[in-house]
Amino acid sequence: MRRAIECDVCIVGSGITAAMVADRLSRTTSAKIVVVEAGDDTIPLAQRAAMRERFLRYGENPWGRDHIDGYEIEGPLQSRSMQVGGLAMHWGGVTPRFSPEDFKQRSLFGVGTDWPISYDDLQPFYQEAEELMGVAGEQGPADLDPRSKPFPMPALPLTYNLELLKKWAATAGIATWSQPSAKNSVVYGGRAQCCRNDTCTPVCPIGAKYSPDFTWDALKRSNKIRLVTRTLVRRLVLEPGGKRISHAMAVDRDHPNDPVELHAKMFVVAAGYTWSSHVLLLSAQTGAPNGVANSSGLVGKYLAGHRNVQGYVDLPIRLYPGINEQHSLLTKQFMRPKEGSPYIRHDLRIWESSVGKTARLVDDGGAVMLGDAVLDDWRRRTRTGTARVRSYYDVIPDRASELTLDPTRTNEWGDPLPKLAFKDAPESIALRERTEVSIKTLFASMAKAGNGTVLRTSVDNFQDHPAGGCRMGADASSSVVDSWGRTHDHENMFIVGAPTCVSGSCANATLTFCALSLRSTHELERGLPRRA
Amino acid sequence: MPTLSRRTFLAALASAVPLALVVRRAHAAAVVHLQSNPATLGALAECVLPSALGKIGAAKEAASLRDWGAGYHEGAEINHGYGTSRLRTTGPTPVTRWATQLDELDAAARAKHQRAFREVSVADRQAIVRSALAGQRLDRIPAVADANHVAVALLAHFYDSSAAADLCYESKIGKATCRPLSESARKPLPVLRVSER
Repeated sequence: MRRAIECDVCIVGSGITAAMVADRLSRTTSAKIVVVEAGDDTIPLAQRAAMRERFLRYGENPWGRDHIDGYEIEGPLQSRSMQVGGLAMHWGGVTPRFSPEDFKQRSLFGVGTDWPISYDDLQPFYQEAEELMGVAGEQGPADLDPRSKPFPMPALPLTYNLELLKKWAATAGIATWSQPSAKNSVVYGGRAQCCRNDTCTPVCPIGAKYSPDFTWDALKRSNKIRLVTRTLVRRLVLEPGGKRISHAMAVDRDHPNDPVELHAKMFVVAAGYTWSSHVLLLSAQTGAPNGVANSSGLVGKYLAGHRNVQGYVDLPIRLYPGINEQHSLLTKQFMRPKEGSPYIRHDLRIWESSVGKTARLVDDGGAVMLGDAVLDDWRRRTRTGTARVRSYYDVIPDRASELTLDPTRTNEWGDPLPKLAFKDAPESIALRERTEVSIKTLFASMAKAGNGTVLRTSVDNFQDHPAGGCRMGADASSSVVDSWGRTHDHENMFIVGAPTCVSGSCANATLTFCALSLRSTHELERGLPRRA
Repeated sequence: MPTLSRRTFLAALASAVPLALVVRRAHAAAVVHLQSNPATLGALAECVLPSALGKIGAAKEAASLRDWGAGYHEGAEINHGYGTSRLRTTGPTPVTRWATQLDELDAAARAKHQRAFREVSVADRQAIVRSALAGQRLDRIPAVADANHVAVALLAHFYDSSAAADLCYESKIGKATCRPLSESARKPLPVLRVSER
């Protein structure tokens, strides 16, 4: 039997950007909000300490039932997570802002594509996102790290190790500061202060790190939203004429023979960089033969992200790995390329590390050690310390960096699965080697400044913090949504967060996804009844 | 009615009992074996772990590994990493091979010294362990579940712990435990040796 759900706003997905949208809408409007999530509800906070224990002892996934079976797809999917809260249930909670340069790459440096908005346009929404989730941070140099208001919480303190590493970086001429993080440096939002359990990824056992379930729990408690789980949206159906979305068709995974229709005045697709483009492409129909919102042919195109170069440096200073390994130093010093120089742009973070400093069973001569010999050897090798250094660098996406429907694989309801292929634009390919050499040279010069040695470096081929697929722009022929996230083709549909990004910057991007979503919400709520 | 040979009977039994059930029972039997014969594992811990732990500390580490084994779940989903849609699960229980290896250590001690493993000196026990580990790849300490030998499992289990790091650095780091945030800026306090208390 068909089941219909009526509402004012239907939000597809329940990850971190959906939580931002729902939270704001529920405060500023009286709209009836329904949130549809394909996955299961997440594991309650009370059970997370036990799940963490099994993760630490056995490496088990602390988020049982966090995915749908049969979604083994071709290409580098960021994560299999599909649950209430999405990937942000196990994110690292690292929340730098993008830099002003990110939005004007073409104008300033002659590469990539300018965004239709500036850093100043986004700045109030960065602040709003930081206050909603609770971000602890330290103001960096104002010209590199501009902000109009202080962070909601004082910075996470630098550990003893990071203080030593900060001095080391300074000797190499690099000014660093405490990495902004959505982790409570003080009690905030009714959640506990961080106590350095140091398993932020994949699970914080005490809720000191923000995750979207806290927002959902609060909204459900106050009856401000309806969250429908285990319900996968398969199609968005157009009204006659094709200008508006009429309803979403979904499958209730517990009653697959009873289709669900979600009727709403406004639709918000908040399903991340993969599942947002995927559902739009699956929705091909009369009037939208290539999928909804896709008159430009750009849905699924220009997938963006950033690669990293990582290194480990042995330094003649005694560090104590384990004080708070997931916290780091940050600098934005290398995020502003010099005028007239090649476009090389990257961030830099520094962590304590135990690489090269763990116990071992075989000595340098190849003999097996047992008993006191292992401990004595370990103590000898830990008189010096290791720093982990890593730089994300800009990758300019090609149009063919894309998500397409895979004709060879389907899910259990017969819908084609997505296929992902990331591709650098030609200008990015030309810069790649020079960028990676430049970063490795920087690591070597830092090591030299501290009388240390680079133990090893590596380049990650995987693009982190993926975004794009529904890029924003002023021109409907070269973008999918406008600067607010409203689709050019359908006035009552917004795409929010990661998919709308024009480029991936060289910094962790989740806070930017959230800020973009809140900016979209400000536009969306103009058409809804205001809360008294 | 024709009579069944032992081989035919066992083959019929094997096909009738699901493999997963057989494996679960073997795991449970091995766990019981370790729990009911703690002496050999304790003697092994005493000879492969640092002497600073003392007899009591070594016994505690052996008990901790036994608990680890008892809590092991085969086929449990492993934390999935970024960048891939592939899911992985935990492998076959290592506890069954550890139980067998403890019996082999005991047999080796009896063959060479005419005494149980637990009754020979620490140096002799270490020699037996070295012999058992000959030919194994030990260039890095593996995850506990991947340890090919029970001696390596004990070492892996101990050296991954917060206590081992504190012992190495002779400082109260307390890695991966809940500690006041405000104390993170301070150099970890030294751990006092027994003679200094």
